[in-house]
Amino acid sequence: MAETGFRSLADQLRSWSDDRVSRLLLARPDLATPTPHDSGQLASRAATRSSVLRALDQLTRLELSVLDALVVAGQTSREELLGTVHADPVAAGAALDRLLDLALAWESAQGLRALTGVAESLAAGPGTSGLRPRSPEPPPAAEIKAALEAVSPEARTLLQHVADQGGEATTSGSRHTVSVDDARTPAEELLARRLLVPRGGSTVVLPGEVGLALRGGRTTLEPVDAMPEIATSSRSAALVDRAGAGAAFEAVRRVELVLDEWSLRPPTVLRSGGLGVRDLKAIAALLQDDEATAALWVETAFAARLLAAGMNPDGDLCWLPSDRFDTWSGLPTAERWAVLVTAWLESDRLPGLVGARDTAGKAWNALQPELTGVHQVEARRMTLAALADLPAGQTLAAGTGLPSLTAHVAWRRPRRPRTRADQVAWAVREAAALGVTGLDGLTSYARPLLDGDTDAATAALAALLPPPVDHVLLQADLTAVAPGPLESALARRLQSVAEVESRGGATVYRFTASSVRRAFDIGWSAAEVHAFLAAVSRTPVPQPLTYLVDDTARTHGSVRVGHAEAFLRSDDETALAELLHHPQAAALGLRCIAPTVLVSDTPIDVLLPRLREMGAAPVVEAPDGTVHVARPDALRARTPKAARAEGARQARDAARVSAVVTAIRAGDRAEASRPAAPTGSPLTPSGALAVLREAVETGESVVITYVGDDGVRTERVVDPRSVEGGRLLARDHRSDDVRAFAVHRIVGVRALGASVG
Amino acid sequence: MNDGPLIVQSDKTLLLEIDHDQAAACRKAIAPFAELERSPEHVHTYRLTPLGLWNARAAGHDAEQVIDTLLSYSRYAVPHALLIDIAETMARYGRLRLEKHPTHGLVLSSSDRPVLEEVLRAKKVAGMFGARVDDDTVIVHPSERGNLKQALLKLGWPAEDFAGYVDGEAHPIALDPDGWSLRPYQQEAAESFWHGGSGVVVLPCGAGKTLVGAAAMAHAQATTLILVTNTVSARQWKDELLRRTSLTEDEIGEYSGAVKEIRPVTIATYQVLTMRRKGVYPHLELLDARDWGLIVYDEVHLLPAPIFRMTADLQARRRLGLTATLVREDGREGDVFSLIGPKRYDAPWKDIEAQGWIAPADCVEVRVTLPSSDRLAYATAEPEERYRLAACTHHKVDVVRSLVAKHPDQPTLVIGQYLEQLDELARALDAPVITGDTPVKERQRLFDAFRTGEIRMLVVSKVANFSIDLPSAEVAIQVSGSYGSRQEEAQRLGRLLRPGRDGKVARFYTIVARDTVDADFAAHRQRFLAEQGYAYRIVDADDLEVG
Repeated sequence: MAETGFRSLADQLRSWSDDRVSRLLLARPDLATPTPHDSGQLASRAATRSSVLRALDQLTRLELSVLDALVVAGQTSREELLGTVHADPVAAGAALDRLLDLALAWESAQGLRALTGVAESLAAGPGTSGLRPRSPEPPPAAEIKAALEAVSPEARTLLQHVADQGGEATTSGSRHTVSVDDARTPAEELLARRLLVPRGGSTVVLPGEVGLALRGGRTTLEPVDAMPEIATSSRSAALVDRAGAGAAFEAVRRVELVLDEWSLRPPTVLRSGGLGVRDLKAIAALLQDDEATAALWVETAFAARLLAAGMNPDGDLCWLPSDRFDTWSGLPTAERWAVLVTAWLESDRLPGLVGARDTAGKAWNALQPELTGVHQVEARRMTLAALADLPAGQTLAAGTGLPSLTAHVAWRRPRRPRTRADQVAWAVREAAALGVTGLDGLTSYARPLLDGDTDAATAALAALLPPPVDHVLLQADLTAVAPGPLESALARRLQSVAEVESRGGATVYRFTASSVRRAFDIGWSAAEVHAFLAAVSRTPVPQPLTYLVDDTARTHGSVRVGHAEAFLRSDDETALAELLHHPQAAALGLRCIAPTVLVSDTPIDVLLPRLREMGAAPVVEAPDGTVHVARPDALRARTPKAARAEGARQARDAARVSAVVTAIRAGDRAEASRPAAPTGSPLTPSGALAVLREAVETGESVVITYVGDDGVRTERVVDPRSVEGGRLLARDHRSDDVRAFAVHRIVGVRALGASVG
Repeated sequence: MNDGPLIVQSDKTLLLEIDHDQAAACRKAIAPFAELERSPEHVHTYRLTPLGLWNARAAGHDAEQVIDTLLSYSRYAVPHALLIDIAETMARYGRLRLEKHPTHGLVLSSSDRPVLEEVLRAKKVAGMFGARVDDDTVIVHPSERGNLKQALLKLGWPAEDFAGYVDGEAHPIALDPDGWSLRPYQQEAAESFWHGGSGVVVLPCGAGKTLVGAAAMAHAQATTLILVTNTVSARQWKDELLRRTSLTEDEIGEYSGAVKEIRPVTIATYQVLTMRRKGVYPHLELLDARDWGLIVYDEVHLLPAPIFRMTADLQARRRLGLTATLVREDGREGDVFSLIGPKRYDAPWKDIEAQGWIAPADCVEVRVTLPSSDRLAYATAEPEERYRLAACTHHKVDVVRSLVAKHPDQPTLVIGQYLEQLDELARALDAPVITGDTPVKERQRLFDAFRTGEIRMLVVSKVANFSIDLPSAEVAIQVSGSYGSRQEEAQRLGRLLRPGRDGKVARFYTIVARDTVDADFAAHRQRFLAEQGYAYRIVDADDLEVG
């Protein structure tokens, strides 16, 4: 940092290393788009209101307080500034450095200054002290102190009241110029001692230096570096991990259950793009969850691109599992979890809002495209980061934990939106449901995931999940209990012989006549079922179960049921026999099930032309009275395009920023080498703005060439105050009044000292 | 992951692997708050229900204990949502308390004002409250004590009843342990009941519930009203009380269709109390006839609805419910909880059986195949006729005969639903038949003869289902039942599960017509028995004759 200070922010930026400019551009990405021509334009852009607001949003309470103190001070030295902030000087110093890095403050030759526009943007927002800026030439502190001690108690009370009420008041009937001895009222007394200063009309203000004196030389009475503590309770880290792993296991299972269900019975996409309330209710009932949690599963599946809109065979737009789901469901549980949680971390979706009503009174649907929030990702990250900062084994205290966490996050980002309490609560709840936290403490296996180390997280979680089991316990009440997650091939086979009755860490299956029949229907034989049961059971197969299988097999034989795509019937038995034995018939899968009936596995649209080729003259029978057996296909949509991964995004940002920095430097060099342009000559609009902004910063007067309403060019000497919204606010020397100039009518700007070319 | 015996499922069931070495300890730990739903041979299923959790609260357990138990025995991680749910459910019990106020009488008070406000605004409790005493207390009309408890349970805020009981008219009653003594579990059951004030004791059939009643009376030392299911059972209560307590013949009255005596200890049947004449219950005044100190309800799971309404008015008296199962076919478990009281003692059948107090049973289902003619008749019958047709097939008679022949020397009961069928069986087997039409005296005589071994075989209808001790029955053959009712099955099995024989295995045969609704109903009962942990086999009638 240069000792001497700079003429303007642009000058300061020019002196910065490339590295430092890069950091600025990364921290305030809006400055880099589109690429600024040179440092002057960069500085000018940094001072625009929208950019300043964005930058302020990233500040902590302490940083805001330091900035506020700087605004109050106007222009000051580092030591003096830190002295007025009620905080540890080291922390406050670090905060000041961050402000400088963010180009919200800069070092002029006269001392540190806040960027113009900052004062206005800070306004009365959170983190401000409510003090007015100091007078341009404040009296020494001792003098103010003496004045404060000298005033009457009434006046002192009045002064305190004004200070508490925002530093501004109106007095009617008070004389503004009055000597101490003449003062008739407390207000006049304060005016006489210059503890209140008149500011047009009947308004009086409390100058910043008096406010500081009232607060003992600091901008606030309360320390501003006290980060709210998070209320915690102690739990063993192992317990936290176990609880979290349980939730993680459940989360994966539930998402899978939802998508399995929807591959067979997909819900339609609402015209507004969301998921119908009734469909959400149905899925919640299926999962035995509440709707809010069901919405989380659906939204997480969507964020992980396992769910997308696609066409069902009828051509309706439905919510379908994407083909990525097939890959996903083949992964081990821990990896599947990592996919879900990574997607959730980077998703700007707001599942917590589902079911609530928007301002128009309309309920939010899950999967609705508008259900996103710009602050969502950051709020979630910050919440988890706050939890990650807790020592291992510390979890959010029941009851007080969440409010204290909200307060903590609020301290770090005081200017964040009003919905922060909701967002923190959502993040906590969703993290618990997804198994990122257990008992409201961050699990050890989720920590690496927050840093992007998926593999470490997966490995750590896998160790906590129940290992797959390869056997079940068969019981006389016709249930089978798998005392852990079954190997997936085994689970699928078991599901075809028995109904799932209860899911969780273990699975309970029930054998019923219909479930056993179902197994026979898909081609199992009684012997196979017996062999399968004997093989998977750790315990002897109970007699009633054996009996059930045999009894079902007995009745199963009496009526034969099979799959057939088409049937061929004819009263002419010879004709059918002929077809059956035709050399080309082999491929058609014809089977004779009665002398007058053949069935075929070939669909009619293929079968028909082939039969005709073989010389038969078949007629298609109407579907009435025939049973069409068709298994519904599991439907798939195409995987939506991936949002770029966090790492890739960072790399891209870094590359872009360095390109921008190079461009700015090139612009600066070009600017430096260019011969002085004839002043008053037409400028580019952005060039004019940059010069004007610089003048705002430096407080120097400039000469502008202005085209008036009548189309006549005039040159005016003005002191620019601010440039905003296409208007220059400046004190016009000619009229000695502050007036606004339309920027697009300013055709030339030059410094006052510059000779007219 | 630890290696516990318990798996907690997200649907609030608990699976307990009983071959695990910690299984016994775990069962003991979870029994107070989880309802045993199924106890087949390897994995027992418990269920967490609000009633179960509130029962645990009433017994002095708190959520922390419950959660700690689950966490320490659970093999896998316990779903977080479940833990929260447990804590929230348990916290609901006792927020509202019924108390005796020194000046205002019966009041409902609350430690949680919003809950009280919510409850006071509910439609269900309209008209039950008097004036507000202060912010946390409101007067309750004493007559609404029971109704209010019922309504509050339905609202999900069950009230704890601290309002106490009237002592009732004192009457000395003592147990008379002459050559016998209370079994430990009976002792425990009576103690738990007495300390709890009012409530239900769950013991299997044949485990000696009458003695628990007698022990409770000995605690109360007051006049007692005993409500039982029928006259025969009333007589048995009387005999048992005469034998086991200091009460004399003059002190015990019977109040039934035949006799109407009101004595210090009165045994009344549900039937006479719920008899209606011209829209009024003429025998209701019995409840106010004396200043009863204790009311005993036998077979609580059968309490008819009008008795619930009457019980609602008896909240100031101590109430003891005795039952083999809290399961009610009509689902009114909640009313039992709020009106009689929480469960005070519970012992799983198998435990008591293992202790040797009741006989183990071997359940066999015998399937008969209907001949083609019967099958056709069955297939074309009206739906309401189908069960009778299937259940009463003549084939069953042959099977019963061969079963009886297999157990020539053992006392045998043949149980059925349809009178024609029973008569046919009686003729075929040359055995006396007892139905609802049999005079009480004749019934008593036949039962006595069966008990003494004079008669080896009895054919009985469902009148024998309840509370009649036939301790000598070793074989029961069921030919038809009332549509697969679970509690009927418990009762019938109960016939066989009376103590008195040494190590003999009781046989319980059910004869079922294959491929009919009879078999469907049988599947229900089979499931119930298997869930109770009984060995269960299915055999074909044809195999039976060969073997």
